[in-house]
Amino acid sequence: MDPVIEVHHLTKRYKDTLALDDVSFQIERNAIYGFLGRNGAGKTTAMSILTAQNFATSGSVRVFGENPYENPRVLSRVCFVRESQKYPDEANAKTAFASARLFFPNWDQDLADELIDAFRLPMKTVTKKLSRGQLSAVGVIIGLASRAEITFFDEPYLGLDAVARQIFYDRLLQDYAEHPRTIILSSHLIDEISNLIERVLVIDEGRIIMDQSVDDARGQATNIVGDAALIDGFIRGREVLHRESLGRVASVTLLGQLSAEERREVAAAGLDLAPVPLQQLIVRLTQRSGDAAGTSTISTEGALR
Amino acid sequence: MTTATAPERRGTGSRTLSVVRLQLINTQSFVWVPLLIMTATVVLCLLIFAMIPGDGLKPSGAAQAPLWYFLALGIQAMTLTFPFSQAMSITRREFFVGTVVVGAIGAAMMATIFLGLAGIEMATNGYGMNGRIAYIEWFFEPGWASAWLTYFTVTLLLYVIGFWAATVWKRFGTLAIAAVLTALGLALVIALFVITRTGSWPAVIDWFAQTGPFLLTLGALLLTAVLSLGAYATLRKTTV
Repeated sequence: MDPVIEVHHLTKRYKDTLALDDVSFQIERNAIYGFLGRNGAGKTTAMSILTAQNFATSGSVRVFGENPYENPRVLSRVCFVRESQKYPDEANAKTAFASARLFFPNWDQDLADELIDAFRLPMKTVTKKLSRGQLSAVGVIIGLASRAEITFFDEPYLGLDAVARQIFYDRLLQDYAEHPRTIILSSHLIDEISNLIERVLVIDEGRIIMDQSVDDARGQATNIVGDAALIDGFIRGREVLHRESLGRVASVTLLGQLSAEERREVAAAGLDLAPVPLQQLIVRLTQRSGDAAGTSTISTEGALR
Repeated sequence: MTTATAPERRGTGSRTLSVVRLQLINTQSFVWVPLLIMTATVVLCLLIFAMIPGDGLKPSGAAQAPLWYFLALGIQAMTLTFPFSQAMSITRREFFVGTVVVGAIGAAMMATIFLGLAGIEMATNGYGMNGRIAYIEWFFEPGWASAWLTYFTVTLLLYVIGFWAATVWKRFGTLAIAAVLTALGLALVIALFVITRTGSWPAVIDWFAQTGPFLLTLGALLLTAVLSLGAYATLRKTTV
């Protein structure tokens, strides 16, 4: 493992709330992370501290092995445009990008220009007159075109329409393939980004409750699709995480894996094994961790939507 | 730093200069509005001079109007540009130095305009009406260079006060800045009270006259430096 970010026992306390509660994790070089959690879970606080925009109450943060605070060596390699980013009074998209070009050494103007076209972003409208989606697009373009070695995207899709979101996901993957770097995508739309991310970091009530690769996460469960009555025969006491049915066809997600023999039986019965939907899995695991910590299930109901 | 993905990184000095360019995104605020206020002030003064009968000296204190605007500019430089500077991965120190440099550039611009106006007033006998907007005799006693420095210092001082006040507000909240301003106001009133009660006004005025505009300007410049350091100390732990 080659971590670019190391967080040890990070705690952040605001006046009456504990935003981060003794959090420790590492972020590997050149991977796309899904930083997932409900609103108010501590995602933005964590990213702010990692980029020295905010301060830890206790604990330590190392980015590229150094403390990021007042450290231009570290900060010039990091990009974090927050979800509610403010811009200078007279700034428009054009001046915002011209500024980003000054400060991010890897800035790619061609990529920025392509994205401006793709998002149909008006360049001369002052930022305070831009719509929510257009503001998100400004942040997304700065994040992508800065090509910083560590890039944080803070709920980048807010206000973006379906087409624009797809453009973002496609361009992110494409550019990541050509210029590998570390990308941390904060989101609560898990399914939408589940095909993008390689690792998941789930935060809930200021604690990291899941930190593993997407494959490992999916490996914890099984998804069987086919005749509803036949599927029931394979549940065999396993916990059902999720069930969807349409007429007689159902898609059932079970916690745990099937044995090799069971897999053959599933195939013989004419049923299919499908990829486990990450969102259902994480919602369920989040709720379980809530139970384990003694909080009620109700508090996490409708989680991560 | 030889790979294509990590080109030679520019030093922190050039990043500070980039902050100057970042602040100057607001050219309307930093250049055009002060010029507009200046022009409006001059026009209004000239009209008023023309209304006043008699050939006596007609001094106008209105010239301070564009200088006060720098108080607002200092506030804006903090509240509007600091959050964006954080997104640009700028350190607080780079942001602070660049922002003060921008203020100094603006102050130099204003001081130069004032000296130009003072020159016109001298050459035209106060616009032909014996009016005085920029040529305040006392400021110019030690010489024109000193007068330039006086205008420069007053402008920069107001800018730094605005910047610090906005930083205190951003870091500690509305109540804190209200408390600070109230305390300052109280201190001022107490000082005035003590001077009045002890009958020290002649002594105070005498002291100002004795010290002279040049030394007072240097004192104000020192005060500006101290306030800047205070602003920087406050900014170091300010969050977006």
